[in-house]
Amino acid sequence: MNAGVAVAALAVVSVATAVIGFYGLRISRTTGDFYVASRTVRPWWNASAIGGEYLSAASFLGVAGLILLSGTDALWFPVGYTAGYLMLLLFVAAPLRRSGAYTIPDFTEARLDSRAVRKVTSLVVVLVGWLYIVPQLHGAALTIRITTGLPSWVGSVAVVIVVCLTVVAGGMRSITFVQAFQYWLKLTALAVPILFIVFMLAGNGTPALSAPAVNPTGLAPAGAYQKVSLLVALLFGTLGLPHVLVRFYTNPDGQSARRTTLIVLGLLSVFYLFPTAYGLVARVFAPGLARANQADAMVLLLPGELVGGAAGDFLSALVVAGAFAAFLSTTSGLVVSLAGVISQDVLGGEVGGFRLAAVISAVVPLGFAFMTDSLALAGSVGLVFAFTASTVCPVLLLGIWWRGLTDAGAIAGMVTGGILCGGAMIAGALVGASNLAPWLAQPAAWTVPAAFAVMVAVSRATARRVPQTMARVMTRLHTPERPLATER
Amino acid sequence: MTRVRVTAPRSAALPASQSREAAQDSEVGQVFVRSLIRSQLRLALVVASGFLLILGAFPLLLAAVPGLSETRIAGIPFDWILLGAGSYPVIGLSAWLYVRTAARNEARYRDLAGEPVSAQLLSRNR
Repeated sequence: MNAGVAVAALAVVSVATAVIGFYGLRISRTTGDFYVASRTVRPWWNASAIGGEYLSAASFLGVAGLILLSGTDALWFPVGYTAGYLMLLLFVAAPLRRSGAYTIPDFTEARLDSRAVRKVTSLVVVLVGWLYIVPQLHGAALTIRITTGLPSWVGSVAVVIVVCLTVVAGGMRSITFVQAFQYWLKLTALAVPILFIVFMLAGNGTPALSAPAVNPTGLAPAGAYQKVSLLVALLFGTLGLPHVLVRFYTNPDGQSARRTTLIVLGLLSVFYLFPTAYGLVARVFAPGLARANQADAMVLLLPGELVGGAAGDFLSALVVAGAFAAFLSTTSGLVVSLAGVISQDVLGGEVGGFRLAAVISAVVPLGFAFMTDSLALAGSVGLVFAFTASTVCPVLLLGIWWRGLTDAGAIAGMVTGGILCGGAMIAGALVGASNLAPWLAQPAAWTVPAAFAVMVAVSRATARRVPQTMARVMTRLHTPERPLATER
Repeated sequence: MTRVRVTAPRSAALPASQSREAAQDSEVGQVFVRSLIRSQLRLALVVASGFLLILGAFPLLLAAVPGLSETRIAGIPFDWILLGAGSYPVIGLSAWLYVRTAARNEARYRDLAGEPVSAQLLSRNR
């Protein structure tokens, strides 16, 4: 690919992100603005922003790469990523909005009336956030290396710098605009090239998909256990992602939180058709792109491979821009929510602390990213989902729906889930992905039930610790708000 | 609608308007709240299991009907269409059903709990 074109695309996305971020600075001035955009964001804006934030490197590059490698087995990834939002809508969206808390630790503290629970939740949330930022930075490094030939670290460092600038400048409101813009950018960047390719192939009279969609790698198909475990991770992991949850606080009330989620589901469904199409087209027409360790770059290389010439350069630039939008938007969403947690729990909760916390939240995972190697992006993000599903998800679900949850139960469950799932991830990293037992490679199917079981059992054993405020908080979570006009 | 700046610290997150809480703290009020929570949970569980059953039926269908996954529609193998595109309408439909019914549950709660319902709300929900 023409390196100059790629660099230009990166520059345009970064500058556009920064400009929208600074525009937001002029209208965000109060603490509320910084954290949750003053809860005045309309459902369509908010839904686009959620979509923009959620569609990470794994969705933009990883899903298509994995479909290229393992065919229909990998289709469960996009389906699971979307269905996770359905679970979030069913079990979490409206009650969480009605809790009125800014962050997940705020929620658990208010629900369980316990500072200790808050501390443990904060720790887990920060871990999840950092784990999730690392694959984004790996994606950026890969994109830079493949498309410009520059050293990998340039990509990760560029993402961290742009994210720090936007978050420090504008906080959540500017992030909302940036994210909404980036959803549509990502969708365009994926849709235009693949539609062009499909029409070109059809017009050329290439024997359209006459060859069977063969497996170009000879990887063994995933077993039933792995599919189920993956689905458990994706369905329940989405519930607990900190950057996704913080978005629900920007809805004016519980009902609009539901409407927003409904729109998000539509946006995600449309989006995920395109990585699927890339995977299918690449399997048939460009199986050579399934090289070892490079399948994640397939989306970036496919336009150049199949179209070529000036048109190929233009389409490649578009895809590169979209990929960078994915890294930037997910990373900045995570940084905002992590900074919210760190600044409130460590630095005292003012705007200055938020800025410092934002820089901390972005720079630490950069260190992780330098120390670790890139796995398959969709796979490593899948592991983060497993971790979230084993820690944050049980405390949220039981906290919202079960009156018997206690602080001791919540802590015991989160620690159990975190140790089991974290242990499996570390073991996986030490042993190496190729000769890993399925139950270690996809731990969610047993770590999630274990975390739930411990949480329930310990809560039962410590039933005297159910907080006095429980009935009032449960009422608040589940009863509809009065119309805004009368609630003041 | 006017824009409201929320500048309160997080500790202000929970207390709602006083009268609303007083009405709900009574024994009868709590009965209504419990029944609302139960019906919302039941609804969520029903929709979730329905969705998972349909999703689980997809691979079973492909396995049960021989040759189905090789069938092509517009040149695309049927298993790709079913899993890669067919899942999303199921997700969307489940979500839409849920949002509608959840709002109806809440409207029923409002009627039962006798909360003053403003004219604006009436026109929106009926």
